Amino acid sequence: MQDEIAYMAGIVLAGFVVNFGLRALPFLLFAGSGRELPRWAERAGSLVSPAIIAALIVYSYSGLAWKTAYPYAAGALAVGLQLWRRNPLASIVAGTALYMALVGCCGCSTARSTIELDAQNPFVRVTTAGVFIGDRPVRPEHVASYLEDLDVPKSRTIHILLAENVRDLRQARFLMGCLAKSGYTRPVLVTKRHAESVAVGKRKPRPVQPQQPNRRSGAPNVLRPAGRK
Amino acid sequence: MFRRAFVDSLPVLMGYSTMGFVAGVLLAAKGNVALSPLWGFLTSSLWVTGTMSIAGVPEIARRIPVMAFALMTLAVNFRYAFYGFTMLKAWKGVPLLRKAYLVLMLTDENYALEAASGIADPAENVRYCTVLSALNHSYWVVGVTVGALTVVLLGMAVDPETIRRHTNGMEFSMAALFLVIFTDQIKGLLQHAR
Repeated sequence: MQDEIAYMAGIVLAGFVVNFGLRALPFLLFAGSGRELPRWAERAGSLVSPAIIAALIVYSYSGLAWKTAYPYAAGALAVGLQLWRRNPLASIVAGTALYMALVGCCGCSTARSTIELDAQNPFVRVTTAGVFIGDRPVRPEHVASYLEDLDVPKSRTIHILLAENVRDLRQARFLMGCLAKSGYTRPVLVTKRHAESVAVGKRKPRPVQPQQPNRRSGAPNVLRPAGRK
Repeated sequence: MFRRAFVDSLPVLMGYSTMGFVAGVLLAAKGNVALSPLWGFLTSSLWVTGTMSIAGVPEIARRIPVMAFALMTLAVNFRYAFYGFTMLKAWKGVPLLRKAYLVLMLTDENYALEAASGIADPAENVRYCTVLSALNHSYWVVGVTVGALTVVLLGMAVDPETIRRHTNGMEFSMAALFLVIFTDQIKGLLQHAR
């Protein structure tokens, strides 16, 4: 307990020193009452701030569903309203409301009532644009809690539709890992052609082979089971 | 002045209170620390940075060394080092303690609003910056602390993911704030050039 308090006090202090130090850096560089601000700094100041804010826009978009059209539609609305009415609060609220409606806030989207756990028609999809539940983009790590909200039993097989143009399976694997971590140990990747469905997920314990005990006793990996690709 | 600062702070209220709440819940539920409301209060009042309050939680949970945490903060938040340059002139001659507070509060959102305030009178401008900073600070601290308290008082009933999903999309208010300020700045620059 005391160790923990000391550790957290250290973390608080470290964060404070670094954050405050970074923010104070320009003021420290130009400290001293006698020193005038160089002309270049003054002139640059007026151009630097739009540049920084442009960077902040990109940065904040990276935390949104930026691979979909939603944040751009909402952004266009906010900018358009601002040019038209010059009322920042109204522009921001309208843009945010549109974005929330588009991504389906409060879990109030219609997908909730229409979900069918049906192998023919999986509602979880992995596409090149990301993971979707119904038509909504979601983060892979949110899928499990979504299923839990719908009282989907953990023992259910969860079919995940893999879009045909997806070559990189990392996202699909990550999604399955997230599901497995939350107890959904039976995710199944399916493609449009159903015959190709592949079961992935936690590897089932392999049948015990005669060589197995030798492994423990330090036998090198010569004994790796054959017949596995 | 108070009125304008308050109206300007409203979009930040939307963003900070929800983001702060999520950060507080995250710290209490996933931070693996006792007394999380206290730590939430301290970090939110002294750091005033959403990025590290959220990204830092898993690192705290696995107890990375304090120096490593400091380095991570440095890398993640390096952008803060540039904000002060815009404010050097506007905050000249401000008493040290007040200036220190304004500097501590140079978050993305405060910076964006303060750099675009357009208030000609320096004293009036500093007053605007101070009120704005204090308002936004309070939103953030209350959000984080209440978030951590909620988890402690309601047990683990609150799941950060659930909250994140139920306020899904509200994070756009920050992007919208930057977009709107940027729009005005570009418009101003174009009119200036004419």
